[in-house]
Formats: sequence, structure tokens, C-alpha cells
Amino acid sequence: MQFGRFSFRLTGFRKLLILLVGIAAAVALWRFISGLGAVTNLSDEWPWGLWIGFDLLCGIALAGGGFSTALIVHVLHKDKYLPIVRAALLTSMLGYIIALVSLFLDIGRWFNFWRPFFYWGYHSVLFEVFWCIAIYTTVQVLEFGDIVFEKINFPSLKRILHGALPFLLILGIVLPSLHQSSLGSLYIVAVDRLYPLWWSMLIPFFFVWSAFFLGPAMVTIEGTLAARTYGREPELPIFSSLTKVTLWMLVIYLIVKIIDLVYRGVFSMAFNGSFESNMFLIEMILFIILPIIMYAMPSVRNKLGGVLTASILVVVGVVFNRVNVVFTGMAGAMGGSYFPSIWEWLMTMGMWSFLVLAYCFFVENFPIMAKEEYVHGSGHSIGTGTGFQA
Amino acid sequence: MFLIIGSNPAESHPMAMRHIGIAKGKGAKIIVVDPRFTKTAAQADIYVPLRPGTDISFLYGLMNYAIENDLYQHEYVQNYTNASYLISPDYHFEDGLFSGLEEKDGKLVYNTASWAYQKDGDNIRKDPTLQDPQCVWQILKKHVSRYDIKTVSNVTGTPEDTLLEAYSTYCESGKPDVAGNLIYVLGITQHSYGTQNTRATCMVQLLLGNVGMPGGGVNPQRGQSNVQGACDMGMLWNNITAYLAVPDATKHPTYQDYLDVTTPKTGYWSNTPKFVASLLKAWYGDKATRENDFCFDWLPKSDGKDHSHMSSYGSLEEGHIKGVFCWAENPSVAGPDASNEAKALEKADWMVCVDIFENETAAFWRRPGANPAEIDTEVFLLPAAHIYEKEGTRTNSARHIPWRWKAVEPPGQAKSDLWIADRLYKAIRKEYEDGGAFTDPILNITWDYDQQDNDEPDIEKIAIEINGYNIADGRVLGTFGDLKDDGSTACGVWVYTGYYYVDPQEQDPLLKVPATKRHGTEDKSGLNVYPKWTFVWPLNRRIVYNRCSADPAGRPWKKDKPLIYWDGAKWVTNDVPDFGIVNPVTKAPSPPEVTANAPFIMLPEGQGRFFNPSGLKEGPMPEHYEPVESPVKNPISSQQNNPMAMRWDGIFSKLAETGSEEFPYVATTVHYIEHYQTGVRTRNSPWLVELMPEQFATISPTLAANLGIKAGDDIIVSSARAEIKCKANVLPIVRPLIVNDSPVEIVSLPWHWGYTGLSQGDVGNNLTPFIGDANVAVPEYKAFLVNIRKA
Amino acid sequence: MSKGVLVDITRCIGCRSCQVACKSWNDLPADKSEFSNSWDNPEKLSANTWTKVNYYLIEEEGQKLKWRFVKRQCMHCLEPACESACFTHSFVKTKEGAVIYKPTELNKDYCVGCRYCMIACPFGVPSFQWDKAFPYVLKCRFCYDRMKEDMEPACVSACLTGALKYGDRDELLAEAWERINTIPGYVKHVYGEKEYGGTSWLYISDVPFDKIGFRTEAFGKPVTTRSIPSLTWDVLKWTPALFFGWGAVLTIMRAYTKRRAEHIEESELFEPVDNK
Ligand SMILES: Nc1nc2c(c(=O)[nH]1)N[C@H]1C(S)=C(S)[C@@H](COP(=O)(O)OP(=O)(O)OC[C@H]3O[C@@H](n4cnc5c(=O)[nH]c(N)nc54)[C@H](O)[C@@H]3O)O[C@H]1N2
Ligand SMILES: Nc1nc2c(c(=O)[nH]1)N[C@H]1C(S)=C(S)[C@@H](COP(=O)(O)OP(=O)(O)OC[C@H]3O[C@@H](n4cnc5c(=O)[nH]c(N)nc54)[C@H](O)[C@@H]3O)O[C@H]1N2
Ligand code: SF4
Ligand code: SF4
Ligand code: SF4
Ligand code: SF4
Ligand code: SF4
Ligand SMILES: [Mo]
Repeated sequence: MQFGRFSFRLTGFRKLLILLVGIAAAVALWRFISGLGAVTNLSDEWPWGLWIGFDLLCGIALAGGGFSTALIVHVLHKDKYLPIVRAALLTSMLGYIIALVSLFLDIGRWFNFWRPFFYWGYHSVLFEVFWCIAIYTTVQVLEFGDIVFEKINFPSLKRILHGALPFLLILGIVLPSLHQSSLGSLYIVAVDRLYPLWWSMLIPFFFVWSAFFLGPAMVTIEGTLAARTYGREPELPIFSSLTKVTLWMLVIYLIVKIIDLVYRGVFSMAFNGSFESNMFLIEMILFIILPIIMYAMPSVRNKLGGVLTASILVVVGVVFNRVNVVFTGMAGAMGGSYFPSIWEWLMTMGMWSFLVLAYCFFVENFPIMAKEEYVHGSGHSIGTGTGFQA
Repeated sequence: MFLIIGSNPAESHPMAMRHIGIAKGKGAKIIVVDPRFTKTAAQADIYVPLRPGTDISFLYGLMNYAIENDLYQHEYVQNYTNASYLISPDYHFEDGLFSGLEEKDGKLVYNTASWAYQKDGDNIRKDPTLQDPQCVWQILKKHVSRYDIKTVSNVTGTPEDTLLEAYSTYCESGKPDVAGNLIYVLGITQHSYGTQNTRATCMVQLLLGNVGMPGGGVNPQRGQSNVQGACDMGMLWNNITAYLAVPDATKHPTYQDYLDVTTPKTGYWSNTPKFVASLLKAWYGDKATRENDFCFDWLPKSDGKDHSHMSSYGSLEEGHIKGVFCWAENPSVAGPDASNEAKALEKADWMVCVDIFENETAAFWRRPGANPAEIDTEVFLLPAAHIYEKEGTRTNSARHIPWRWKAVEPPGQAKSDLWIADRLYKAIRKEYEDGGAFTDPILNITWDYDQQDNDEPDIEKIAIEINGYNIADGRVLGTFGDLKDDGSTACGVWVYTGYYYVDPQEQDPLLKVPATKRHGTEDKSGLNVYPKWTFVWPLNRRIVYNRCSADPAGRPWKKDKPLIYWDGAKWVTNDVPDFGIVNPVTKAPSPPEVTANAPFIMLPEGQGRFFNPSGLKEGPMPEHYEPVESPVKNPISSQQNNPMAMRWDGIFSKLAETGSEEFPYVATTVHYIEHYQTGVRTRNSPWLVELMPEQFATISPTLAANLGIKAGDDIIVSSARAEIKCKANVLPIVRPLIVNDSPVEIVSLPWHWGYTGLSQGDVGNNLTPFIGDANVAVPEYKAFLVNIRKA
Repeated sequence: MSKGVLVDITRCIGCRSCQVACKSWNDLPADKSEFSNSWDNPEKLSANTWTKVNYYLIEEEGQKLKWRFVKRQCMHCLEPACESACFTHSFVKTKEGAVIYKPTELNKDYCVGCRYCMIACPFGVPSFQWDKAFPYVLKCRFCYDRMKEDMEPACVSACLTGALKYGDRDELLAEAWERINTIPGYVKHVYGEKEYGGTSWLYISDVPFDKIGFRTEAFGKPVTTRSIPSLTWDVLKWTPALFFGWGAVLTIMRAYTKRRAEHIEESELFEPVDNK
């Protein structure tokens, strides 16, 4: 398919994705006409479901790759990671857009979406989340604009954007740090209801920290996928070197978690055999401790299969954690039951399909991926080459 | 102290429950006797489960316990009851039957001669020592002694320790200064011996000295908000108004016969001629004169047969009735054996329903299973205004007659019942103006209620006619003491005299209104008497028989809360006294000795009856019989059922036999707060339907387990008459009771559903037996046999 | 002074006049319900049902059967979680004590329908109009319109047994303790006195609160007496410091590391991938 100077190739798989997006659009329309009750299985017991619990909370966490790579590359100037930075930014931006779209779909009074800009409930965690996400998405779009204008000629705008870039970069790290943590703080209100293995006054820390260490893992998976799709060599050296970041952060996460549980006197609850405790153990053992071990072993982290598997574990682990907070940990107190309706699933699938399609479109039409010769031709020619050992 | 028996005020009379709750807060004990653990029982100190239909045993057990343990109120029994009266030596009682049972025209009846008091001339013979074996006290003692704890427990299925706890607690009220308040309703009345059940409650209260006391009494929590008013207005088939008997063609062919037969020599009813003359003056005005017996001959006369609800349906079914007026009632849901009652309506040529909705009766021709094409009855539905859409009074259980103002206009073509009655009369009169069989009573009745500029009849004029007035000057009367038998006064309902009277002494302009419209909240005595809050018949007397609140010497039983007492020289009253406090001739205060003689002013002998010499149909005293449909043989005597219970033939004769295997469970029907009666109003109210959406039957967890039924399952409840489908409600509020060593399971079901309206369900009354109480023909709704299976 | 209601479970007969009065006064529609074995329909609080009476039939070994009726509605917390959770400040605790929803109550239509207030409420009270295209979050409003006119709430005025009593919260609290201490049988606890920082609706009972659907414990510990807003504020108050602090740290780090970094012309480095 060719339109103007952009092109988009239609494969069977992509047609399927487009179909899913189409269905989702129809569902969205229906939802606006007939209200949330007709489309979702949400209830007063379960006011938040798949769209918030997965698309928003997980979407934003998964988009954590954006700010963690930005921090590593643009603040710490670990330039060897530069090749992946744009792809990370792109996915992150798309992730946020999806989160915003799902939020827009999910809020009952969407026509009022602009109100919070004018009426400040500053004592609300959500207030912080809202503002940060709104500004950060803008920042990302602007950052990305810088890239887009490499292809589209609009010198004056590009200049302005470029000038603002340093400021935007800092903002682009501060804001997500805040709201990633705030997404956790949202659940402080669930005191005495969210299972104590997850509820903690430190939950903002756990959320931001995990969103951060998830970034490199996400980049690894995306990079591999993109490489597969476009028949390129995966950037394995970058991936394995990134694992060191993740490794240490995972270890710190684990230690803080244990200290927190012990301090609050609920450590033993992890072993009380309840459904919640089992889910918690799976979360910790399978998705925190196991990746730590895998990352710690050079034989694993230096092989694509190894690093990929461990990264998948980390990413799934964060999703698993968010799902545990939103659903597993709350189920006991909420009463009633919730399982997403077919429409909710279709909507979610449509949105993520859109993400894939958009990713492909941008990658195929804009300078997102590093030229192959830079990455593989002279592997470590870029950057300081010392990695992130400090 | 409360004994709440066969009544569930928490659901049926929540406003009464408020006051029970307040008393409880001040330390009153509450005993609830009910087959179900009700919402009322939930507030009780003692809950006594019992098998439906066994209240006489329970109450006799209580009396026996009080007598054996000497816990009754001696002075009261001695002075205010007929305990000392001697009964005819011919009286005897054996194996469930009283003396005098004979067969007449193929039917059993009692000849009451042997129940009479022994007399010396006009004087009744008494034994103040209460020792004579023929005195009422000895007869009573002997009669109730058969109801010892063990026997009672075996009949009622109540555990013995629960009985003992309830008895000993309630007998506290036998102390002179402790009032016991007995509350009953349908659990007592709706039995084939309902009247005798009620008698038993009265006897308990007499024994413990609880009648006439503030906080005491026998308190039926009457049903419909104006059922009392309806009875006062003569809606009962056997009286005209205010409890004056319907003239009987054979017993009272003339005015004088009527007066002679219906007027007792003593007691307040000795004034009957004044009431009747005034009534006829109210109806026939100038046409009624002393000379023409006040037009008594114009009154329709009864044939002496029973014309109660069930008998009327019997006649309808037999084809004796051509047309039916169904005015504000819904028998196709409310009546016993309702599907057959609805079937009987098919025999009518026409039916007029005056109602605020098209209720099931109005829609009987399209009821489930009926073929409208085969039903020829022509049905007219006249839309009536609802309670808030018209003005008037209603009279509650405590005989208060508050005025009620109109709040909103009736919708559409709906008209007040008064308007409809007015137009109906005018239409009939028009028909008769051209002649007819007997036009006098119709053309000559006084009927001038028209108002200028208003379509509605003038309700004030009607109120004044009910109240009574002096004919010469139209003065509204303040008391029925002013009624005359010479035609100088007119009065529609003598007990209401004074209710529309404006007190000339009253200073407060807000209270200078007809008594019924007063809203004064003063309560000088602190006894919750509120004499200026509306009007209470008779004579604004709040507590009847209040002479009994003081001892024979005039000292109040309750020293700290005197209602009426003798201060040494005169009577001090906190309520309108129910006895002459002054000598009518000399106007000097009547001393206590004089007034102590006849505290029960409405009875000829003036004293409370343990033993009723004129008797009820089935005896001078209650006796335990089994409900007509019962799972067990009568454990007390070999007389299984009330021999006088009313039964019918044909389609109304279907009954399950005693101990039926086909229908092994005892069913009772109950009212719920969310729905009102046949549910016409409430089942059409979305808010109430939301609260209680579907017909159900409550069974015990044990029965549910035995039958493999789970809560919420669809079940079929069947009786010898019909079967209905509903939801299974499984709750431990009913539990099997042990009778004759084997468990009796109890099924309770609401009867509020029918086939019209917003929420529909099967008619519970399709199951109930067509059996009537011997004296007042109330149907036996509260104990019958059913079976249950999964639908 | 801030108003409250004292609910005395021992006086409630489960007549549900309150439930109907609430619908009547507030013009709330009836929902279609189904037979319920415990009789206490509709099933739960909802946008159309702001109060409901729950029935508890308590059968315990060796004890008399008990039946208790518990009216539920918004507790009108002293420091309401719903208010603090709302990022458009659509809920507000009025000085009179009512926690009201501004869009319907004050015609200030900011609410976006995010339903975080519902997550935040520790009593699971606010309900959403799921079936509406333009929905509101609804709950008991303490009959704020009546309150302003010095009238008691509709439900209280309909309660015939005195199970509900309206008045100044402080006085009601004193009365609650007075009843507990003078009339035998009460559990020595006023629910709502301290829970979650205290509520305007207070409950006293003769059966333990946990038997009649109150959360007295969470995960083996008494429920918190801290208000939820105060808990979140403990975290939120750090936000400005974090924003500027973290921003400053990043800027300094960036400036510091930049010196060591090579300059790379990014536009040279990247290109669109070819997907042919
Ligand atoms: N909300 C509401 N209020 C009403 C009505 C209504 O339909 N709805 N109806 C009104 C009318 S007209 C009336 S007459 C009254 C009726 O008021 P109630 O008499 O209180 O109503 P019921 O539920 O018929 O019966 C009372 C109790 O008797 C119990 N019972 C059944 N059989 C027996 C028995 O053999 N012995 C004893 N001791 N108890 C038994 C039942 O379990 C029930 O709890 O309520 C009036 N008030
Ligand atoms: N199985 C069983 N059956 C029973 C009972 C029981 O306990 N068990 N209880 C019995 C008792 S106590 C009673 S009182 C009866 C009640 O039996 P009904 O009196 O037949 O029952 P209601 O539902 O009160 O019917 C009254 C009718 O009057 C209409 N109505 C209401 N207001 C007005 C008005 O202002 N004007 C006019 N014209 N119509 C109006 C209503 O719409 C309704 O159709 O049922 C009896 N039936
Ligand atoms: S008569 Fe009316 S106010 Fe009294 S209890 Fe019945 S419904 Fe309530
Ligand atoms: S109970 Fe819930 S809705 Fe009510 S004020 Fe408290 S937090 Fe808000
Ligand atoms: S749903 Fe409305 S009231 Fe509730 S938190 Fe969101 S914006 Fe505030
Ligand atoms: S206070 Fe008003 S809104 Fe709240 S439950 Fe009572 S009647 Fe309903
Ligand atoms: S109105 Fe009063 S007694 Fe009736 S259910 Fe409500 S709180 Fe209880
Ligand atoms: Mo009745």
C-alpha cells in the first residue's frame, strides 16, 4: 500500500490485525452509545477491569522502556545503547497512546475528559497520574516529532523542537518516574482490602522500580521481535549488557520487598497457602528470583535464547504483579466476581493490534531502527564501551 | 409485659411495633407465640414455637399454670369476673363435648339451657367463697386442669421448658401492679374455632387482671386501616350500624319485637331503643314518626340464615345470586379456596367492581385456566379514587377516628367511593320513580348531600348524620347519652356520637374543631392518653372498662400510674370513665363500692366472663379441637374437630383427611410487610415489587433436605383443592415440632400474589380450605394440609 | 455542627420503610429483582438503590436464633476517601456533614467517570450508572437538600422504631455510649466512631459487628483507624520535592556525563527498515 511518500505492506497477518482494530472501533462506538454496562462485565464491585487493569496499568508499565532507556542513554550517556533508544521511545509512546485511548473508553463521562485540567483535585493520586501522563505523552510526541521531522521537512519546527529537547528529555524521565510510582500509590486507598502481600506504603516504590527494570527487558523482547520481523540480526550485545541494569534492580527490588514484608509483620502470609499467597510466591519465585539467577549467569545472558527467556519472565512478571494488585489482591474484599466480557477482550486485542500496526508503520517509514552496519558492523564502536558496571 | 400470640406486628403493624419497642427499652418483656420465628419474634425475650391451631391448649396451659401456682390476681377475679356465679346443675362437660348437644334438621346444635346462670328471680346466684362445684371458678379450674405442661407440650409441639419459661414470665402480670398486654390477630382468629381462641385470650387477661389497665388489655391489631370503621358502619352482614342486629323476619316481625328481643335489661345495651329510633330518624327523616314505628317496616329483614362471605359464595355457586357488587375487595385472591370462588362468579349474570385497579376478581373471567368465551358474566369496572385522593375518616384498632384530608386529585375518570355510591343511589331512585315493587324505602330515604359548585357529595353533612344531631335545632350532639327514643334525635352510628362535635369549652383555636380533626398532643397523665388527639369511640374513652384499673376500693392497682381512682371523696380521672362516677339522680359522687359492681358495662351482668352462659356456638368455654385438616388425632379428646365448624358442599367440600399421607405437612398463610393483602396496590408499586418480587413458600431446612429441595428452587405446593407453583424459601424460621412423638413439618406461605398487575404469581388461597369458624365464619386460613414437591 | 445518624441495630425490625423512603424522596427507579432466600432484595446497593437493609439470620450452636437487620448506605466519613480520591474534586464533605457528589448536587459537572472513588471507598458505597451513556456516580447524599432545610433525612423520618436517629454527630456518639453503658446487651463498640478516621453514621448492636456484615478486622488485624486521605497524603506530599529534586539530579547527571560522551549525529545513525 502506498500513500504519498509513506508505504505500508499488507500481509495476511496485518490484515487480521486491521480487522481486529476495526472490530474494536465498532465496539468502542457501541460503548459510547449504550454505556459501559452493555459492553463490559464491570460492576460496582469491580469498577475497574481489563481496560484499566491491563491496558492502562500494564500498558504504562510496559512502556517503561521509554524512560529507562532515556535515562541510561540521554542522562547517563551510555551511548552504546543509543541504537535502541528510538525504538524504545516509539513503543513507549504507542503504549501511552493506547493507555490514553483505553482510559478514554473506560471513563464513563468521556465528554468531560478535559475537566481535570481545570478542576484540581490535587489531594488525589489520580490527579498526579493524570497530569503526568498527559504531559508525558505530549513530551513523547514532541520527542518523537524530532524524529519525524528528520523525514518530513519542516525546518523551523524542527529547530524549535530540537532546542527544547534537553528540557523535554529531563521532563520525560521525571514525569514517568512520578506517575509510574503514583500508579502504585493509587492502591494505598485500598488499605485493609488489598491483600497485605501487595498493599504497602512502599507500593509507589515497587511500581516505579519495576517499571524501570522492565524497560531493558522490554527492549530486548521488542528488539528481537523487530529483528525477526525484518530479517535483521538482533542486537544481542546490547541486550546482554543491559541485563546488568536489570539484574541489580531486581535484586534491590527483592531485598526491599522482603524487608517491607517483615517490617509490616506479614511475611508469613506469603506461606499461608491461600490463593493470594500462592500467586505471590509465583510472582516472586518465577518472575523475580528466577530472572535474577538467569541474568547472573553469563552463559545464559549472553545467548539470545537465554536473555530473551529471562526478559520475557521479567516482563510477564511485571504484568503478573499488576494483575495481582488489581485483581488477585482485591478479590477477597471486593466480593462479586469479574471476568472480562468478549467485548472487553476484543477491544483490548484491537488496541494492541493497533500498536503492532503503528509500530510497523513507523519503523518502516521513519528512522527508528539503527542502521545495521552501526550495530553489527562494528559492534562496540559506539559509546564508551565500558557498559554499566559501576 | 407483652404476650404476642398469632400476630406479627413487625410486618403487619409496624407502627405498633414502635411502641412495643419503646416499652421494651423501658424494660418490658416480650413473649411471642407463633409457629414461625418472625421478625417480631426476633425482638422477643422469649420465643414460643407452636403448631398452628393449638392456641387454646397453650393459653389453657398458661391459665392452669397460673392457678396451680397461685399466680393469678385474686381480687380482680373475685370482684370483676363471673368466677363466683353458679351455673345450672345440668351443665357438664365430657370428652370434648359440652352438655346440650342435639341434632336439629340434620345438623348438630347446642341447646344452651344447661349453661345458664342459676337464678333467684332476677338475681344470679353466687358463691363468693368460690368453693361451690357449680361455680364458674371451680368449673374453670377443672376444665383447664386437663391442660398440664406435658399435655400442652404434646399438643402444641412446644418444648416443655419453653412453655414453663413463657408461663412463669407472663404470670408476672398477675401481680396487681403489673400490666400484661396481650396482642393477637389472625394466628388466633383464622381457625374453625377462631372465636373460641379469642375467648381464651380474654380469659387469660381476666385471670391475670389485665383488662381495663393502662398498658394492658386484649388487643387485636385489626387489619385493614379502616376495618374497624367498616364494622362500625355496619359492613358486617349481621348488623346494621354500630352493632345493632339486622332485623330478622321471623324473630323480629315488628319494631317492638325487635326492641324486646335485642335489648338486654341491664348493661349499656339497655339503651338500644334510643339508638334504633335515632338511626331510623337519620335514615327516614320526617317520614319516621313514633306512630309508624319510625318506618321500621321499611328495613329489609333477614331470613335468619348465614350470609357471611363464604355462605354468599355458596349461594352464588348454587345459583341463588344473580349479580355481584365487588366493592373494594378482591375475593379471587383473598377468599378461601379462591379458584373455586372465582369459578362461582361465573354463575353471576353481572358483576360490578369498584376498585382502583383491575384486580383479579374483576379479571376472574380471564384467570389462568379459564376460557373467557365460555363465561357469560358481564363485568363492569368503576374506577375509584385511592385513599389519598378523597376526604373522610378511618378508624383504627384503638378506635381512633382521625380525619384525613385529600392530598391529590384522582387520576382520569376515577371518583371517590362516596361519589359512586351517591350516583348509584340516585340512579336507583330514578328507576323507582316510575314505580316498582316496594318504592317507599327507596324514595323516602333522606339523601340531601349535594353541594353547590361541587360534584362531590358534602361529606360534612354525612359526618354530622353519623355523629347525630338534635332534630329541632340541628345541634350536633356531644354524647350518645343525649340520644332519645322519642324521635327527637337522629344519629347514624351511635358509638360515633361526639366525633364531629366541637367542644365549646376548648380555648385553643387550633383545637376548636370537630373532635375528629383535633391534633392536640397534651398528655397530662403521662400515660400516653392524649385526649385531644382526634376522637376515640365511645365518648373519647381511650381505655375501655377502666373501672378495672383500680381495686374495688377505688385505689389504683398501679400506684405510680393511676388512670382513674377514688380520692376519698370523688373520682379523679385521667380518661373518660367507663362507669357512672356520679349518681345520675343526686349528682353526688358514686362511691367505689357501688361502681365496683359492674365494671364491664357492655355486659348484662357487668362482670368479665370466664364462662359464657349464652355461649358461643360450640360451647360456653373454649376447648381444644384440631383444625379440620390436621396431621394428628386430637390428643385431648376423641372429638377431633369443632362440631360446629361451618362446612359447605359441592365444589367447596374438598378436604384432606386427618393424618393424610397425601398431604403430610401443616401449612399456614401469612402477611408480609412489603405487600398489602391481595397485593393489588403493592404488586403494582415498582418499589415494593423490587423488595419482594415473587411468590414463595417457607420450609424448614430439614424438610428441604428430606425433599432434596434447595433455596430458590421452583416447587409445587398442593392441597386437596389445588396446587400452586412458587419458589422454595428455606430458612430455620420454621422448624418441625414434635407432636405425639413424631415431627410435624410446617410450611408458611404468603398469599399476596395473583394474576394481574406488575408482579404476578399463583394465588396462595387456591390451596386453603373452605371451612368457617362456627360463630363468625372466618375461614380456616391458618392451619391446613399440603404436600410439596420439586417443580 | 456536623450531623450524623445513630443506627441502633437492636431497634430495627427490618421493615425497610427507610429503603423505600429513600427511593421515594430521591426519585430513584426500582430495579427488577428476583426471589431472594433471605428476603432482602434488591441484592445490593446500586446507582438506583442508595440504601438497603441486609438481613442476617444467625444460628449458633446452643444459642437462640437471632435475626438482625442492618441498614446500609454511605457512611459519610469524616475524612472521605471518595473525596480525596477524586481528581476533579467531584465529591465534597460539606460542613453540615454530608458527603455529596457535585455534578448532581451542586450542578458542577466535572466528574469524568473514572470510578477511582469507587475503588477508594472502604465501604464499597459509590455506585455507577452502568447502563447510561451519560452516567453519574451515585450514592446516598444524606438528603442534603433536606439537611439544609433542617429536616432529617427521608430514611430517618420514615423509620418508625427509632432505629435511626438524626442529630449532631458528637451528641449521637455520646448517646451511643450512654445506651451501651446503661442498657444491657450491647457490644461495647460504636462502629464508625474510629473506623477509617470516623464516620458520620454510627452503629451500635447487640451482636458482634462481624456477624452482621461489618468489617472490624482485615487480615487478622483491626481495620485501620487512620483516614484513607491521610494515608495517601503521606505519600503524595512528597511529589513536589520529588519532581524538582529528581529533575535537578537528572540535569546535573546529564551535564556531568555529557563531558565524557562522544557526539553522535543521530540522524546518521537511524533509518527506516525495509520491509519488502
Ligand atoms: N404490610 C401489611 N400490613 C398488614 C396487612 C398486609 O397484608 N400487609 N394486612 C392487614 C390485615 S387486613 C390484617 S388482618 C393484619 C394481619 O396481621 P397478622 O395477624 O399479624 O398477620 P399474619 O401474618 O396473617 O399472622 C400473624 C402470625 O400468625 C402466625 N400464625 C399462623 N398460624 C398460627 C396459629 O395457629 N397460632 C398462632 N399463635 N400463630 C399463628 C403466623 O406465623 C404469623 O406470624 O395485618 C394488617 N397489616
Ligand atoms: N390465606 C389467607 N387469606 C386471607 C388472609 C390470610 O391471612 N390468609 N387474610 C384475610 C384478611 S384478614 C383480609 S382483611 C382479607 C382482605 O381481602 P380483600 O379486602 O379482598 O383484599 P385487599 O387486597 O385489601 O382488596 C381490596 C381491594 O380494594 C381496592 N381498593 C383499595 N383502596 C380502595 C379505595 O379507596 N376504593 C375502592 N373502591 N377500592 C379500593 C384494592 O385495589 C383491592 O382490589 O383477606 C383475607 N384472606
Ligand atoms: S396503618 Fe399505615 S402507618 Fe400504620 S403501620 Fe400500617 S402502613 Fe404504617
Ligand atoms: S462511605 Fe465511601 S462514599 Fe461514603 S463518604 Fe465514606 S468513602 Fe465516601
Ligand atoms: S468517577 Fe467522578 S467522582 Fe469518582 S473519582 Fe472519578 S471523577 Fe471523581
Ligand atoms: S440519607 Fe437520604 S439519600 Fe441517604 S439513605 Fe437516607 S434517604 Fe437515602
Ligand atoms: S425504617 Fe428503621 S426499623 Fe425499618 S428497616 Fe429501616 S432502620 Fe430498620
Ligand atoms: Mo384483615
